[in-house]
Amino acid sequence: MNKNWSLSQEAFDALLDWLDSDRELAGIKYEQIRSRLIKIFTGRGCVDPEELADETINRVTSKLTEIQKEFTGDRARYFFGVANKVHLEYLRRKMPQPQSAPTDSVRAELEYHCLERCIARLSEEDRALLLKDYGAKGQTQAERRKALADELGISLNALRIRVYRIRTALKECIEKCIQDSL
Amino acid sequence: MEANPSPGENNLNPDTERQEIRSYLLGTLDRDHKTQFEERLLTEPSVYEELLIDEEDLIDQYVTGELSALEQQQFESHFLITAERQKNLRFGKLLQNYVNSHVEPVHSFSFLQTPVRRWASLGLLATILGATGIILIRGFVNRREAACVVKQTTSGVMTVTLAPGSAGTQGSTAQRVNLPPHGVEVKLELQLSKPTFYYYKSELFRENKSLKISDELKIEAKGEQRIVPFTVTGEMLSPGDYQVKLSGVLDSGADEFIDNYSFRVIE
Repeated sequence: MNKNWSLSQEAFDALLDWLDSDRELAGIKYEQIRSRLIKIFTGRGCVDPEELADETINRVTSKLTEIQKEFTGDRARYFFGVANKVHLEYLRRKMPQPQSAPTDSVRAELEYHCLERCIARLSEEDRALLLKDYGAKGQTQAERRKALADELGISLNALRIRVYRIRTALKECIEKCIQDSL
Repeated sequence: MEANPSPGENNLNPDTERQEIRSYLLGTLDRDHKTQFEERLLTEPSVYEELLIDEEDLIDQYVTGELSALEQQQFESHFLITAERQKNLRFGKLLQNYVNSHVEPVHSFSFLQTPVRRWASLGLLATILGATGIILIRGFVNRREAACVVKQTTSGVMTVTLAPGSAGTQGSTAQRVNLPPHGVEVKLELQLSKPTFYYYKSELFRENKSLKISDELKIEAKGEQRIVPFTVTGEMLSPGDYQVKLSGVLDSGADEFIDNYSFRVIE
């Protein structure tokens, strides 16, 4: 890819058109491909997976005119091929050491305060479910979940999805609470 | 989550798939399977969604000490590679701390279904709780004032066991410790819910001023409890409030905050 190439609005629009003629669906597909590429680079042990995912998308976008002529099939697969090349180049570069952001006690206190606030905002049902999913000591996660799924009369998979959604909502609430407090 | 087929709604055996995802997350999937899995991850929504859920499950299992020693090592060296996952781990620990300190029994409230019954029952409950609370608080205050805590003194070492304190409530729950005599060492035993690090780091504070830092501390077993020992000299302490910050030391050498402990030295 030309090093001076940068993603213009026009090029991005062309990418979206290639992904789907419906602009809304194209936007969803773009986000899906990006988030999956991030997971793939993470799975390969890359420290900055977002950057590599964006680099992959930029490369596909920069060669879109050629790709449109030649490529047929599931477009997501094309990104996979380009991601492999980007990854090989990443491996040749010097890899930065992973950094873990230290958490100071003030930040930890704020996080806990936000957690308490956000848990209080959950519905009684969701709060009880979350606490039960973590609660019983002396049991493994699998044992707890099985007992809880039986108690609620739902499948184990349905329970996992419900807990995941509650946790995701809780995380978003905590993030917002922290942002608002800083 | 996207509005697509739910995890497990494909034709693969869910257990096999979850095992494959777990291996992928821990970096132990062989190369061929990894490539195939990544292609599916990119093209099949259900695989991606299952991966997100399995990430959370894996974090919980790490936090609660359910992973084997090998898995724990793989988790730390491979899974925790990105800042996003380290943030998710912090969230998992935070949630676990919250659950550990909030025993919230879950009851069925079906008997409170009519408004009149609800208010009458709640009024009665409030009265009972209020009366019980006053009795308990009086008893608790009396006990605390009567019995200041000297945990144990043997051969010039005073041992004080500290439970993790919830942030924001340290002042009210701080454990009391008698002023140690000169020449005595104070061994602070920091209770730990789950042993998740090889080395630990402790820092003693008074009024936000750091008094002592010790790293390369190792976990010890005390009965069924796991503790991190942190020894300070008696001369270091005078009447007042103290905090101890406990962190785990990551392979990278960076610290990861675990919990705060607080105590009050009294004469």
